[in-house]
Amino acid sequence: MHNTPQSNKWPLWFDPRHRKMGSWAFILNRITAIGLTVYLCMHLIVLSKLAMGPEAYDSFIALAKKPAVIIGEMFVIAGAIIHGLNGIRITITSFGFGVRYQKPIFIGLMVIAGAAIFLFGYKIFSEL
Amino acid sequence: MSEPKWLVDFQILRQHPGDKPHFKIYPLEVDPEENVLDAIERIWAKKDRTLTFRHACHHSTCGVCGMRVNGVEKLTCITAIKSVTKNGGIVRVEPLRNFTVLSDLVVDMGPFFRHMGETRFNSVAPVGYASLPFEPDPTNSIPLERLVDCIECGLCISACPAATTNAEYSGPAALAAIQLMLTQNFSPDLMALADHDNGAWRCHSAFECSEVCPSNVDPAWRIMNLRRRVVAHRFKSLFKFPKQEKQHA
Amino acid sequence: MNTKPKVIIIGAGFTGCALAYDLTLRGCEVIVLERGDIANGTSGRTHGLLHSGGRYCVSDQEAASECIQENILLRKISKQCIEFNGGLFIAMDESDMAYSEHFASGAEKCGIPIERLSKEQIIKLEPNITPEVIFGYSIPDGSFDPLRLAMGFAASAVVHHAQFFTYHEVVGFVINGTAKLSAVEVINRHSGEKQVFECDLCINATGAWAGKVSEMAGITVPVLPTPGVMVSYGQRVTQRVINRLCKPDDGDIIIPQRRMSVIGTTSFEVENADYIPIEKEQVEKMNQRAAKLVPLLKNVPTRGVYMSARPLIGGSSSGRSLSRTFKCYDHKESDGFEGFVTITGGKATTCRVMAEKTADLVCKKLGVSAKCETQERVLADYHEYYPFN
Repeated sequence: MHNTPQSNKWPLWFDPRHRKMGSWAFILNRITAIGLTVYLCMHLIVLSKLAMGPEAYDSFIALAKKPAVIIGEMFVIAGAIIHGLNGIRITITSFGFGVRYQKPIFIGLMVIAGAAIFLFGYKIFSEL
Repeated sequence: MSEPKWLVDFQILRQHPGDKPHFKIYPLEVDPEENVLDAIERIWAKKDRTLTFRHACHHSTCGVCGMRVNGVEKLTCITAIKSVTKNGGIVRVEPLRNFTVLSDLVVDMGPFFRHMGETRFNSVAPVGYASLPFEPDPTNSIPLERLVDCIECGLCISACPAATTNAEYSGPAALAAIQLMLTQNFSPDLMALADHDNGAWRCHSAFECSEVCPSNVDPAWRIMNLRRRVVAHRFKSLFKFPKQEKQHA
Repeated sequence: MNTKPKVIIIGAGFTGCALAYDLTLRGCEVIVLERGDIANGTSGRTHGLLHSGGRYCVSDQEAASECIQENILLRKISKQCIEFNGGLFIAMDESDMAYSEHFASGAEKCGIPIERLSKEQIIKLEPNITPEVIFGYSIPDGSFDPLRLAMGFAASAVVHHAQFFTYHEVVGFVINGTAKLSAVEVINRHSGEKQVFECDLCINATGAWAGKVSEMAGITVPVLPTPGVMVSYGQRVTQRVINRLCKPDDGDIIIPQRRMSVIGTTSFEVENADYIPIEKEQVEKMNQRAAKLVPLLKNVPTRGVYMSARPLIGGSSSGRSLSRTFKCYDHKESDGFEGFVTITGGKATTCRVMAEKTADLVCKKLGVSAKCETQERVLADYHEYYPFN
């Protein structure tokens, strides 16, 4: 191991080359975490508009109906579902259960995530 | 009747103190069944005596020949060339990641061996304990012993993202060693060695350690099992018993 | 003058590491120079048999007695790298049966504890053994991790302040006016820098390379690198060492180690031990011999295949035999060259006593009166080779 701190090597966390499924889950968890955190900040900003009166809020709602924003919201939903389900996998394995099956569990959960995202997307876009 | 030889380009990362790291290409005629270490040794013996690399047993018991081959951590003495490339292909060889490089393919194993030494793990254990618990014990309970699986090769540390950014992390091998010891004897000191921020809790479940381990240690499984033991120990400590009996977690 | 005598040992294999340990205990200041890393020569590639002496109790009883004594000692001082489950000598045909009488009496003479076992007993102990076994003997064989045995000695030496300079290659010797070796010239292979280390005595412990190193001093040491093939299989098919009950031959031993079984070996001569290509016919021969002892091995994939170069001493040598099992050359006596000693030959199991006898000679030359203490102390934890700072 190194004798000196290496915190500047953090970009290597996101490098999936030559790595296996466990790393894909690790990278996905971090990207969705960053995305959800950014979304949380934006969401708080939006909520603050509630305090600024009806015109500010109505103009925001008009913005929210734009397709770009709706697609953005799909990403948030996808991120939340993926992060949540993978989080369950990490919680279970962290308690020492199912570690030997972490790969099939990951695949299974991502299939469920895919189905859930599809259902959400279908619901949202069909009600436009 | 021997197999036809392959022509393979070995791209080896060269670096000596004062140099910038750079890849040097050595085209080599090889038998595809040969191991990567054989080729590296031949390059040193016949082409370039300045190449430094580590080797000892050549049969996966010493653990010193770990390197990155085409980006993946491998024990080069048991990695056949045909498993990493094809005829006319490239084999890229680099030293292990997350270790200080002394020169070329030689890394400083000092801090790693310090972590392993601190665990005071028994390098020889009863056969039933040396193997993973979900494997059958072939000794019919006759007390036979063997050297444990971990050969201290460091591949797990090279593949671990937590070890990439944190120099104090105990690392998968040391944590696996602690878990192995706890299966044989409970000890509060061992628990303390694992139960801190840079111990069992620094792992973030990338599971790469078990992917690259050439020796059936399954460190990822052992770290999670270790966490279970640590949590159980913490829970039991909440209820202080008047007589501290020997606990088997 | 209260300064410790300075000894340089070239070579960090079993011999060099054990010698470094012995000499530091006797009060010498020791520096070990090694062009590679610990045990990267012949020592690292031993198949790891902790000899009970059974293989030599008919043909070379002095060697066998030495083996069993060191076997018992190593089991006390170096538990950290030894799998001790005993071994078996098995008879499979008439010729083996005839040999068995010599074996039994030889073992008794050498003090090797053996026990005769029937076919049923043997198969019960080792279910994977060939059904052709007729009967056999149990003997106190074991197996060890080659690197960690060397590291155990090296760590013990480091704990007593020896210094190991790995990746330092000897390129020449400095000889003063009175034909005495006064210093060793070395290249640091990491940095490329040249360094000079002074010494009162230099010991060439480079095994199969002893001839090449002594050439640099203009001295001839007739060492013949004599390699043999080893094959390791990816399954631990027996828990004990399995020997054929016959005169020592190629491929007549299977040694368990971790999750592997290792078979060896053959014997042929080469000029240069730096790189020895693997001979496929020899590997095939080992595969066949292995399957004869343990038929299951026919279907077990090989894990590692490698050549290991023993140092055998050429016939017309003028070196004094400190023992039949290894040779020590005091070059003052043999070549009029003071301050230089070559030690070569021997087997891993007897590395400690080899070091003891060499250190006895060296200390006599240096005027050091301390006696050997390595038989009494348990070796340091091999991790301490890398200092805990």
